[in-house]
Amino acid sequence: MSSKYIIKSPWLFRINTGSCNGCDVELATTAMIPRYDAERLGCKYTSSPKHADIVLVTGPVTARSEPYLIRLLDEIPEPRVIIAVGICPISGGVFRDCYPINGPLDKFVDVDVNVAGCPVRPQSIIDGIAAAIGIWKERIEQFQEA
Amino acid sequence: MAGFFKIALHNFFHAPTTDPYPFGETFLPDTYRGIIAWDKDTCIGCSTCQHVCPTGAIRVAETDDGEGISFSYWLNSCTLCGNCGFFCPTNAVHHTTNFHTVTLQKEKYDKTVYGEVDLVGCRKCSKKIRPMVELLLERAYSVVSDEERSNASLCPECRRMKRFEELYK
Repeated sequence: MSSKYIIKSPWLFRINTGSCNGCDVELATTAMIPRYDAERLGCKYTSSPKHADIVLVTGPVTARSEPYLIRLLDEIPEPRVIIAVGICPISGGVFRDCYPINGPLDKFVDVDVNVAGCPVRPQSIIDGIAAAIGIWKERIEQFQEA
Repeated sequence: MAGFFKIALHNFFHAPTTDPYPFGETFLPDTYRGIIAWDKDTCIGCSTCQHVCPTGAIRVAETDDGEGISFSYWLNSCTLCGNCGFFCPTNAVHHTTNFHTVTLQKEKYDKTVYGEVDLVGCRKCSKKIRPMVELLLERAYSVVSDEERSNASLCPECRRMKRFEELYK
């Protein structure tokens, strides 16, 4: 019965993999300030990876944060949708080819949506979350049929 | 306490301030730096934008057949810093106010700007040279005469010969 409601309310989870905090500030803006209220779309921020449905990853995956990223991703149950927020997890951005950078993110996990920008505009993040919710609905329906 | 009542009264009489973005229009500053636009007609292929780009999102290179210069720009590596537009001598690269930067993973490498500038032949020896733009002539000379315009279609070698002949004949 609960699966009927899961479709309507995916929970968001944030992972910072050595970001400069620019994108994290924009994510906090999107979530907390009533002006860009991301919860209008039916989603909610959670602080536990075990409850996560949509994962927002920021940062260029530094060598130091890589084991923690992998551990967190292992804890997040399938089905899940992964969004790369900012150009750092997508391509490395200004840190591309630096020695402490193990990214980009799609080396470690199947990314679904890329949201470019440095930092990302809150409206673009909302766009990305909306795209991710579309993918999430398809995926959960497939998961329920199987 | 008075401030609280002020806000409460304001909220009582006014509509909510939430931006209706995914379902409606959003605000946009006039000087917002969004996705880059590139103009083929004014680009001279000098590759200044490539040198000043902090992330290597822009690449300017000769095409394989040697007939032109290609300009390619990858959105997913661009910090939208505005260096390329600031340093471009002919304003061929500039930011638009387009902020729709969401791409699905299968289109990750699709969202690019690509174009080619055709090299023109020198009118004397038909060697391939970069095209001259009127704007660049105006920056180089205070008054652009027809002679300067005709010299612009010569390759550096032929121009040097012509200048020398003018001086000593």
